[in-house]
Amino acid sequence: MKIRINVVKLMVAAGALALAGSAAAQSKGQFTVSVGANQLKPDVESGPISAPALPNSIGDVGKDTQPIAVITYGLTDNISVETAIGTPYKHKIYGAGAIAAGGQLGTVEALPAIALLQYRFFEPTARFRPYVGLGVTYAMFQKETGSFRMTALTNPGSGVPTTFKIDDKWTVSGQVGAQFNVNEKWFLNASYIKTKLRTDVHFSTNQTQHMKLDPDSFILSVGYKF
Amino acid sequence: MRKTSFALALLTAAVLTACGGTDPRPGDQTPRTKFSQQVTFGDSLSDVGSYAVGGVALQGGGQYTINGDATSVNPELTGKNYTTVIAAQLGLAAPCAAQTGLQGSTSTNPALNFAVPVTMNANCFNYAQGGARVTIPYGPGNHLLDKPGTTTYLGATTVPVTTQIDNHLKKVNGKFSGNELVIVMAGGNDVLEQLGELTSGATTAGGTALITSLVTQLAPTTPVANGADIIKNAAGLEAAKPGSTAQTIITAAITAAAQNGNPTAVANAATIGAAAGAAATKAAADFQTNQAPVLVKNLGTAGAELANLVKTKILANGANYVVVNNLPDVSIAPAALVQSADVQKLIATMVSTFNTALKTGLGDDAKVLYVDLATVSHDQATNPAPYGLTNTTTPACILTDTTKNPLSSSLVCNKNNLVTGDVSHYMFADTVHPTPFEYALIARYILLQMSGKGWI
Repeated sequence: MKIRINVVKLMVAAGALALAGSAAAQSKGQFTVSVGANQLKPDVESGPISAPALPNSIGDVGKDTQPIAVITYGLTDNISVETAIGTPYKHKIYGAGAIAAGGQLGTVEALPAIALLQYRFFEPTARFRPYVGLGVTYAMFQKETGSFRMTALTNPGSGVPTTFKIDDKWTVSGQVGAQFNVNEKWFLNASYIKTKLRTDVHFSTNQTQHMKLDPDSFILSVGYKF
Repeated sequence: MRKTSFALALLTAAVLTACGGTDPRPGDQTPRTKFSQQVTFGDSLSDVGSYAVGGVALQGGGQYTINGDATSVNPELTGKNYTTVIAAQLGLAAPCAAQTGLQGSTSTNPALNFAVPVTMNANCFNYAQGGARVTIPYGPGNHLLDKPGTTTYLGATTVPVTTQIDNHLKKVNGKFSGNELVIVMAGGNDVLEQLGELTSGATTAGGTALITSLVTQLAPTTPVANGADIIKNAAGLEAAKPGSTAQTIITAAITAAAQNGNPTAVANAATIGAAAGAAATKAAADFQTNQAPVLVKNLGTAGAELANLVKTKILANGANYVVVNNLPDVSIAPAALVQSADVQKLIATMVSTFNTALKTGLGDDAKVLYVDLATVSHDQATNPAPYGLTNTTTPACILTDTTKNPLSSSLVCNKNNLVTGDVSHYMFADTVHPTPFEYALIARYILLQMSGKGWI
């Protein structure tokens, strides 16, 4: 089911691109695509793993950087919509608090799908155009992968390795960014996106954990106006 | 055209994403270190069946917990000791007792026969025995400590840790291979045995003071030449009877005085008894106060001795991975909770003195993992909910009804002699020993610390 949603999203993005052939140059009705890198860095505030566990058995999630393609379409000269596609972010999951000694306990892949409505300042011809955006994100998690240590800390010696699932979530994102037009066709783009994300982790041992991930996203890309 | 290819590429990516499995998966379940075997030295807390023979086995017991796989009743009732849990997690063979047998009493009732020849099991490497102390060869359950005339007794072998290590070294030609996971845990019986001696000593001191006080109060007003002796003998005779109490002894002394012409003994019985009782209580308390520092000092010695055994007999002979569990906080166990506040405080001091000496003695060594179970067990008693514990103060096993538990110990506790209600998440099986659930918590904590050490 989750996979299907992802496929649909990618297909919508692809379809939108295919239709973009009629887009005129510049501003309104214009498509731009920029390619670069995005660092996704969760700002973690972890709840404790539910009983039975050492008190304050919390977690931490590492950052990851992946290539990204940012696709923007100008609805007017100042209002645009943006989405992005990229490869999954591979995050390491660490024990923290009372279980910090556990070190790396697992990994997860995050596939955030985002749609932003943006306001771009100044004229379309301006060399430097800052912008702000607000949008929705669907945070999807997949390939949640446990480890020897995760099993050792939750269900040792049972012969049943511990697995976990992180809930996928719809949420909101805010953006600030800027575009620097190098010439008529090429531009540089930088943006920061903050996403509010609270989710729950469900372990196969029937334990749960609430986590505030609120990821920070730092994007640097080079773009082309079609 | 370019856009079309890009769209195709996206579709391809989507298909690829859909094809690869995205479900949660267990990941790599192999530990960082491939241990060759688990070798354990210790006491009842690590014993996996040294006494699982004869009557103990017939009663469905053998380990100091809720025995037997009763996971069909409740998933937590695994019957597993923490060493068993750790061995399974590390992919090692289930530990078995290196020495089995009992030196107890014989009986025509097989369930009460505790005389079973001692056997050394060549392929078993868990040497831990219930009742074992660090160096002293007799501990709780050993027949040497039974009251004279005891007819039914367990006869625990209580081979001390120092001898357990020697026995292993004999088996392996004096050397560890270096790939074993060695687990050491002792000290509990040094606390319990000394506490037992303290209690019996205090009782004796109190009894003596009681009689002395009675004689001192009654003899001067008893008009016979050997009044003091008569009163003393009468009280002593009563004291020697099974089931005698301070009250019956006081009554015996007053009766003897009155029969020998004491005119005020009966009339003043209440005040005489009260004064004698107070003297007895004071003497018992004084004995405990005076003996407490000796006990604390003895525990410090035992802790230092255990550290020394680890260094000179285990590390010096080639072991590279030695887990040394410190002594859990006995002062929170049901056995301690029935004691006075002073004795509880004394137990806590004994435990902390043992652990400090053990930790100091071990020092910092990459080959030694000192696991602080004392802090965890104390925290479990004060903050049980996060651990999933539902009861940390009363035993899960029936102990006082000897028709259901002839040994009054978790050694013969199983699903058939549990107290009513759901005991699956109790901390204690009997007055000192953990349930399988608590053992699992201990296993997890040790594994966490082994992760921190980089061993797994």
